[in-house]
Amino acid sequence: MSAPVPEIPLDLRAEVRRAVASLDHESRDSGSMTSDLSIDEELNLHSIGWEPVALVSGVSVFSVPVGCWNWGQGEIAVASAAQAHAFHHAITRIHTEAANVGGHGVVGVHIERLVYSTHIEVSLVGTAVRPVGAGAINGSGIFVSDLSARDFTLLMIAGWEPLGLATGASFVFAPRRSVATVLQQQSQNVELTNFTEAMYSARESAMERMQQSALAMHGTGVVEVKVVEGPMRFAGHAVGFVAVGTVVRLAKTTHQLIHPTMVVSLNDQNVAFDAQTLA
Amino acid sequence: MTPTPSDLPEAAKRRLSQGAFTSGLSVSDFAACLEMGLEPLGLVQGFCAMQWTTFGSFGRGVTPFAGSSSGYVENYQCPHGMISSEHRMWGQNYEQTWIENSWRDGFNSAYSRMLEEAGTLGAHGVVGLIDSEGPLSDVGVVEFHLSGTAVRVLDAPAPHHVWSTYLAGQRLAKIFEAGYAPVSVVSSVASVRVLSSCITEYLMGGTGAMWSVNAETTEIEQIVSAQNESRAIARSFVRAQLHGDALHGASMTGLTREFAQGDLEIQSRLSGNRIRRFKDFDPLTAPRPTVRLS
Repeated sequence: MSAPVPEIPLDLRAEVRRAVASLDHESRDSGSMTSDLSIDEELNLHSIGWEPVALVSGVSVFSVPVGCWNWGQGEIAVASAAQAHAFHHAITRIHTEAANVGGHGVVGVHIERLVYSTHIEVSLVGTAVRPVGAGAINGSGIFVSDLSARDFTLLMIAGWEPLGLATGASFVFAPRRSVATVLQQQSQNVELTNFTEAMYSARESAMERMQQSALAMHGTGVVEVKVVEGPMRFAGHAVGFVAVGTVVRLAKTTHQLIHPTMVVSLNDQNVAFDAQTLA
Repeated sequence: MTPTPSDLPEAAKRRLSQGAFTSGLSVSDFAACLEMGLEPLGLVQGFCAMQWTTFGSFGRGVTPFAGSSSGYVENYQCPHGMISSEHRMWGQNYEQTWIENSWRDGFNSAYSRMLEEAGTLGAHGVVGLIDSEGPLSDVGVVEFHLSGTAVRVLDAPAPHHVWSTYLAGQRLAKIFEAGYAPVSVVSSVASVRVLSSCITEYLMGGTGAMWSVNAETTEIEQIVSAQNESRAIARSFVRAQLHGDALHGASMTGLTREFAQGDLEIQSRLSGNRIRRFKDFDPLTAPRPTVRLS
C-alpha cells in the first residue's frame, strides 16, 4: 500500500516522451474508470489503498402544495417534509448506483438544492470509490459523503470512517406583526423578533433532525456541516434552514494523532490556470 | 497522420507559420510546461456556428406518440379518464437524439478544426483546453468555440496524432507522473424532453393535492425519471468514447429549459479528460499533513 519514496528523482521529460509514445499503441486497460476527482485527489486515495470507480448521481424532485408558504403559523411542515424526502430519495439513488458499479462509498458529492414555491429538487453527483481491487459489498455498508477525497483520506488516516450524509431542514413562518406594531416600528431600526424567533425555530428543528439522522446511522458526530439559511425569495414571511454534513465514526480503537508539520509556503497566490481570463 | 481535407483559412495558415508563439497559459502553467519538456507553439482555436431549433410537439397530451425518439422513451397515462379536451391524458419523456447529434456535430467540428491548427503547427498535443457554447445571435444560432495551447514534446519523434486535455501546468505534470497519458477531451450532451402528464403538471404547479389522495408532498416521478435518465445517457455517451481508457476530472452539469407550462427540456452535459495508463501505478506514501503559515 505504501511504497518507499524513490531515491532517484523522476525524469519528468522522459516520462512525458514515454507517455506520448504510448499513444501510438493499443489502449492498455485503464479500467474505463470515470471520475470527477482531481489527480491530487486520486493520488491521495491511492495512498491509503483506495481507488475511484465511476461517476454516480442521484436526483429527486418533490412537490410542495401551492400557497403553503403564504399563510399559517409555526413550521411549514409539508415543505420541510418535501426537502427531507427529496434528500432521502436522491441519496438512495446515488447509493444504488454506487452499489451497482461495485463502489464501497461515494466521495466528493456535489449537492445542488433548488427550492421553488411548488417543488423542491435535490441533485447529487460524486465519485464511487473502493479499496483497490476490492469486490462489491453489501449495500448497507456503502457510504455517501460530501467530503473531498483529500478530507476522506485524512479522516481515514486519523482512524475514522464516514457513514453517510446527514441532513436536516426546516421551513418556518415568521408571524406577521400587528398593524399597531408595524406603525410603531416603521420609523425605528429595531430587532424584528418575529423573524429572529422564526430563524431560531427553523435552526433548532433542522439541526435536531440532522443529529437524529446521524444517530440513526450509529455515528459519533457530523463533520463539514454546511448551513444554508435565510428568507424564501418567493415568500416574504417564510424562512428556511438546511444543514448537511457527513456522519463519522471512530473505526480504530483510538483516534490516530496525525502531527501536522508546519510549513511556510513560497508559492505566490497565482498558481491556478484561470479559464475566465480567456472568456 | 492521415491527410484530411483542410478548411483552415489562408490567413490562419500564414499567421501560424510566423515565428513568435502565442499561448493561453498563465505564467505558472507556462513554466510547468517547460519543466515537462513541452514547448508552446501557438494558441489554437476552432469555431462552429450551428442552426439551433427546438421543435415543438404535435398532439401533446392527447396521444402517447407526441414525441418520437430512437432512444429513451417513457409514457405516462392519466389515471383520471376523459375530463376535458385540455386535460393531459398522456405525458411523455423522450430523448431528443437530433439535439444530441447536432450538439455532437457542432462540438466535434470545432474540436477537429482546433486540432487541425495544432497539426499545422507540428504540435504533439493541445493543453489547457477551454470550450464554450452560446447563442451567436437572436436568430437561433449556437456557436461552439474551443481553444487551447498547442505544444510540442521536445526530443520526441514527429506526432502521428494530436492529443488534447483540459489540464495544464502542475495538474498535467502530475497526470504524467501518475503514469497516465492524456488522449483527448471527451464531452457529451443528453437531452430529454418532458411533456407533462396531468399529474406531473399538477404537482409541478403545486396543485397536486387536489387530484391526489395524498394531500401532502409527493415525488414527481416523471421529472425524476427524466433527470436521472439524462444523466445516465450523458455518461453512456462518454463511456462509448473511452474505448477502455479512463475518464478523469469530469464535470457534470444540468440545465432545465421550460418552453411552456409542462413542456420542459432537461439537458445533462458531461465533459472530462480521456487518459490512458502507460506504466504501472506506484502508489505514493500516505500524505503528510501540513499547516501552512502564510
